Amino acid sequence: MKKIKRILTSKIFVTLIWIVALIVVWELFAFHVEQTKRTPENIQPHLSGIVDSLTSSRKINGSQTALQMVMENAKATLSRAGIGYIIGIAAGSVLALFMSLSGVIEKLAFPYLMLIQLIPILGMAPIINAITGDIAKSRIIIAAILTFYPVAANTLAGFKAVQKEKYELMYSYAANKFQLYTKTMIPACIPYFFTGLKISAPMAITASILVDTLQGGIGLGCLLSQSLKGAMTRYVFWDIVFFSAVIGILSFYLMGVLETILCPYKRIGKKE
Amino acid sequence: MPKKINMKTAAGSVIYPTLFGAAVIISWQTGFLHKLLKTDEYVLPYPTKILHIMHENSDKIMLNVQASVKVALLGLLLGSLIGYFIAIIATVFPKYGSGGLTIVSAFNAIPIVALAPVFINWTKDVSEEAEVRSMVAKVLVVTVTSMAAMSVNAYRGLTELPPFSDDLMKTYAAGKVTEFFKLCLPNSLPYIFTALRVSVPGSVIGALVSEYFAEYIIGVGRQIRENILIAQYATAWAYIITACIIGIAMYIVLMIVETIALRKRK
Repeated sequence: MKKIKRILTSKIFVTLIWIVALIVVWELFAFHVEQTKRTPENIQPHLSGIVDSLTSSRKINGSQTALQMVMENAKATLSRAGIGYIIGIAAGSVLALFMSLSGVIEKLAFPYLMLIQLIPILGMAPIINAITGDIAKSRIIIAAILTFYPVAANTLAGFKAVQKEKYELMYSYAANKFQLYTKTMIPACIPYFFTGLKISAPMAITASILVDTLQGGIGLGCLLSQSLKGAMTRYVFWDIVFFSAVIGILSFYLMGVLETILCPYKRIGKKE
Repeated sequence: MPKKINMKTAAGSVIYPTLFGAAVIISWQTGFLHKLLKTDEYVLPYPTKILHIMHENSDKIMLNVQASVKVALLGLLLGSLIGYFIAIIATVFPKYGSGGLTIVSAFNAIPIVALAPVFINWTKDVSEEAEVRSMVAKVLVVTVTSMAAMSVNAYRGLTELPPFSDDLMKTYAAGKVTEFFKLCLPNSLPYIFTALRVSVPGSVIGALVSEYFAEYIIGVGRQIRENILIAQYATAWAYIITACIIGIAMYIVLMIVETIALRKRK
């Protein structure tokens, strides 16, 4: 009895119940749509239909199945998002480091760092595409800009959150600047750095898909708009919607896993 | 923290950024920025030209601004209300509620690009007019994006109470309802603003991006795209500048409201 109760109240079980509830609601709507509309798959198909479209071996465009097609385009989109993400992380954390090292740079950059957050960068996607003239490059640039802000802001907050006592201790050890940073400041800001990574991972993917929709070629967003226009079965659209949702959520959790693997404080914290 | 503000550092934090901004604008106007970005003044027009176009088309720009701001604000309001409601439910039923919060925050990771077309599909029957249909779809996208930030933050505000305040309410023999209105609700106010700081810029982005996919062509975001498609880069830049102004203006309004609302707490 006790064991059953423990399973019923465990966190995984609760989440599972929620997921089942969502699926039930989705299917109820799908049944409703099926009865009232002529083309139900345009509005809301059954989940089984979406799974079918992924597993079926029917060729959609003559040479590829739906799954192969989604995967091929996903590779193009995600690799660009990934490159942009890494550039953004590098630039963001370097800027945060410089801002923490030099008061002048901090004063210079901080207001603009705030502004970047308020400016709708995604709205600028078309013009960046026009400036670079290359869709692949603009995907990387926009993903990088979107990653840049959360990483820089959070890392800087991490540098600022180091307790005064730690400074004083390092000072009493006669530590130089390099030692101060490698031994105290950088380890202390790692949790904040990862918060930045978690926020920006889904954003980088969103950016990359959005830029795809602007131009033909290869990429998830491009495939999405083709499917919406009716160039291929509408199920491809649903495949992409679910795929990008799953990837977005996974990217967030992947950063959490990475943090657990790389950072001892996470593992020790869990054991206690 | 010392009360007296150091005049030298205060002046520095104004002067340095202003100088930097001026340097960028001057290099833009003189064409140095074009060399740096390897582009021409056609794709990246001079600031004076953009301002000129903004002035000339001010009526049309205002029309699109209204459409976008309406979507952003309505979605923000709806999303925040729903988010707060979810937080209340999660506080009342902690076990299943917090599981629900996990799901809601997972929604936040879904790319807007995937959400927008889905909502446009779902709202096809809402109205006969494309304008109303698109409007509803866009508002829903913004609603979903601003819901997550509010529910997660409000939940923290409702549950992370000051130590012993809970016990104090019990010694007053306060009922659950009284405790909620006198303790939890006021306690969550600063957290509401934390959420809004994320979701206000988010709502502008949500509104602009959902315009890309909408049936009815209106809004600042859509105009950026449409003008680039017909190679009217200067007009597109005018709308980009407008979009930036909307984002900044909405944040400033939020800051003012926050200062007034949290005035008594400091």
